[in-house]
Amino acid sequence: MSAAATSNAQEQANDGVMPQVVRELVRALGRERVLSTPEELIAFEYDGTIERGKPQAVVFPESTEQVSAAVRIAHRFDVPVIPRGAGTGLSGGAVATIGGVVIALTRMKRVLEIDVANRLAVVEPGVVNLDLSKAAAPHGLYYAPDPSSQRACTIGGNVAENAGGPHCLAYGATTNHVLGAEIVLADGEVAWLGGTTRDVAGYDLIGAFVGSEGTLAIATKIVVRLMKLPESTRTLLAIFDTVDDASNSVSAIIAAGILPSALEMMDRNIIAAVEPVIHAGYPLDAEAVLLIEVDSLEEGTVEQAEAIEKLCSANNAREVRLAVAQPDRERLWAGRKTSISALGRLYPNYYVLDGVVPRTKLVEVLRKTYAIAERYGLAVANVFHAGDGNLHPNLLFDERDPGATARVLDAGAEIMRVCVDAGGSITGEHGVGLEKRDFIAWIFGPDDLAAMAKLKPAFNAGERYNPCKAFPTHKGCGEVRQAHIQRTAGAIGTDIYV
Amino acid sequence: MSSTTTASHVDDFCAAVRPLLASDQLQIDESSALEVGGLAPKAIVVPSSIEQIQRVLSEAVIHVVSVIPIGGGTHLGVGNVPSSYDVALSLARMHRIIAHEPADLTVTVEPGLRIDDLQRALAVHGQFLPLDPACEAASTIGGVLALNAYGPRRHAFGTARDWLIGTRVVHADGSLSKSGGRVVKNVTGYDMHKLYVGSLGTLGVLVEATLKVAPLPDSESTLAIGSRSAAHGAELILAAHDAGLALHAAELLSPPATHAVLGQSSWCALMRVAGGAGAVARSLREIDHAATVAGAAIETLESSTAWDAWSTTFRPRGLALRISVMPSRVGETMQVLDRRLTGGSAQLSATVTTGLIRASLDASSDGQALAVINAASEVAAQFDGSMVIDAAPAAVKRGIDVFGPTRSDFAIMKRLKDEFDPKRILSPGRFVGRL
Repeated sequence: MSAAATSNAQEQANDGVMPQVVRELVRALGRERVLSTPEELIAFEYDGTIERGKPQAVVFPESTEQVSAAVRIAHRFDVPVIPRGAGTGLSGGAVATIGGVVIALTRMKRVLEIDVANRLAVVEPGVVNLDLSKAAAPHGLYYAPDPSSQRACTIGGNVAENAGGPHCLAYGATTNHVLGAEIVLADGEVAWLGGTTRDVAGYDLIGAFVGSEGTLAIATKIVVRLMKLPESTRTLLAIFDTVDDASNSVSAIIAAGILPSALEMMDRNIIAAVEPVIHAGYPLDAEAVLLIEVDSLEEGTVEQAEAIEKLCSANNAREVRLAVAQPDRERLWAGRKTSISALGRLYPNYYVLDGVVPRTKLVEVLRKTYAIAERYGLAVANVFHAGDGNLHPNLLFDERDPGATARVLDAGAEIMRVCVDAGGSITGEHGVGLEKRDFIAWIFGPDDLAAMAKLKPAFNAGERYNPCKAFPTHKGCGEVRQAHIQRTAGAIGTDIYV
Repeated sequence: MSSTTTASHVDDFCAAVRPLLASDQLQIDESSALEVGGLAPKAIVVPSSIEQIQRVLSEAVIHVVSVIPIGGGTHLGVGNVPSSYDVALSLARMHRIIAHEPADLTVTVEPGLRIDDLQRALAVHGQFLPLDPACEAASTIGGVLALNAYGPRRHAFGTARDWLIGTRVVHADGSLSKSGGRVVKNVTGYDMHKLYVGSLGTLGVLVEATLKVAPLPDSESTLAIGSRSAAHGAELILAAHDAGLALHAAELLSPPATHAVLGQSSWCALMRVAGGAGAVARSLREIDHAATVAGAAIETLESSTAWDAWSTTFRPRGLALRISVMPSRVGETMQVLDRRLTGGSAQLSATVTTGLIRASLDASSDGQALAVINAASEVAAQFDGSMVIDAAPAAVKRGIDVFGPTRSDFAIMKRLKDEFDPKRILSPGRFVGRL
């Protein structure tokens, strides 16, 4: 109650200075780069989650100087700044929780340089993930991290969230592919972290910055590593009559020393949603399928595919299919890539979770996940990055059912707790954001959080950037989630990717 | 600059920690064995638990005595000369493997664990940590992480930051903090552990690390290809890399380095070919073909012998430099370095695909060492690169910052140090910009 009141107080404080902030923003950036009327702002109230928050202004800078100018104005008037990419995030990272100025980086979308000889690219933050790989493809290169939203999400957003994707198993997440960034600090100062050469002396600030969820700085240029497109790729679909057999196959593959480039699992409910639409060839009576990809030299993929087939068969796979030609491989992947949105066919709403467990705990945690969903009277569909133990249970429901949303949130929290108890984590790639900031205490104690909190003063960030995100709530943030949940539940299940 | 603390501070500190430690965990004598930059500690503490480290640092901050955490003590010359050095905190007794989950490909260790012991334990399960810095038998995992030490396998496997997934660290105020975890994919909280890698013990004392590990390759072979010039050697390596061949390492050696590693004296591309049997066979075939076409001599070496010799040659001692340039400029940079550094006697080795060049030399005098450093620094600048001095005579180091000039992010680094260690008790002065 009092916390919610504080939150409103902050928003009202913003409202007081906002007309002047908007005038200054317009003067600095030009009318065409500033939105401030309620109608214009509606589209910027939410991202890929159920959370909402109304900014008082949205700006679209087109250069580092303009980002810096906008940040300086916000700094001068002491209003929050919320960096935003494509708004596909799944933890509320781009939501203006207590209002403020959203800095939308979508107009900074130039690929500034592709250095073929050195296999790197310098991009602006608004470049769409897939567009970078497309730009690199003529040179035989690609950008490895591939979140399922890669047709829409931006590199800047990927950096903020340390985004993952199916192909992180062998090649790592965003943090393993970012070499440097030009950043704008909360006082408008510009600095470079890392660089284009590999060894830059000093603390690994770029490593700390990636995944900081927009709380430390805004990246205005990003240097990323590109990888060579593989000579050969083989994709296998292994079909199982039990989820346990599929999980055990995952463990067997990893234990055998094979690190596929992707190792994904889909369960019966996902198959039921996807197959009638996509016709990927997933059997409707299977309990689980594994989608496994290996890439390297031709000789390597032949060896690995054979070994994987044997391991799956030894773990009771009903059938293992192999796709080598690109169209065949794409057909197998089509079901995976559209799986979440296909869930809309089965239920009006779904809520996607993101937890991580040690790979050896998959069987146990999946069993508990199904049991929890059943106990809450919810259907659950699992599609996830099994190879690195990154689960994405989707809770399926109809928000018009009385109490359904509350049950979903409670069940989600319980499943997260199971992940933590199994030695895992509450998020593998979506971020803590607003959604999980109160779960973080399950993993980190006061001293752990105190060490992390030292980064904000080091970056001179204070609470200017993306306040109320990624860490347990502090004074001024309010009980945002509770305050907003009832009227925003309808946003669940709009356009979600994992 | 000399020590800023007086002997009485150290005496008071020792009196305060003595009750916390067994008699053999506190040695009060100036030990030249643990000298850092020509300074000897006044006391050595050898804790055996995290709690002891917490209490020792709590007392250190109260009495304002400077503490340098020490692993195997094999790379103490790295970094700037400390501004103060009262106490050596030896982690030698914290050397357990806390957990190894082979099927998860993760291992949790204490910092004093020797790298060799870790690799042996992992090998039993067909695994390894793919970091291969130029170590000695006594080198520890904590030291490797604190230095961000790496070796030729960086070509394929990156550095410690790519393998470290969780840490526990004791900070200057005695508090203990955790970051990351034991799962291989995790975005909960800031990645504090990235900051600790390569921080030379200036932000805290690493007391536990969880790392990803990799499966050992089924098949492995090492090739040495003699080449006409640095450019030619670099080309051979880049061509193999572009063809996607199964390379775990690919170093370009200058003639003196080739001599030290395999007793010949030409430029040499030293490649570790590893992976599945089929991929390795094909890679060996293609490299052999490329060498034949180029008229270059090719020789198959016993892997461990060759890379051990590389390691021995490039341990940071005497005068050791590391230069970072864009990969595409390695060939020409190596050629110029070979000519400029003491007229062709520098042992140079480049991880071509990452643009990292090591130089190992014996300087006959401080003046000559300084001349070499200046020359190498000029070459680095000429090729838009940077340079770090891994080893140099203390007298030479005192006058320079071994990390080179600071950059636009130094203000952030300084504030970070201020936050973690406001009294400057942890490895003071040793890091970038003398932090």
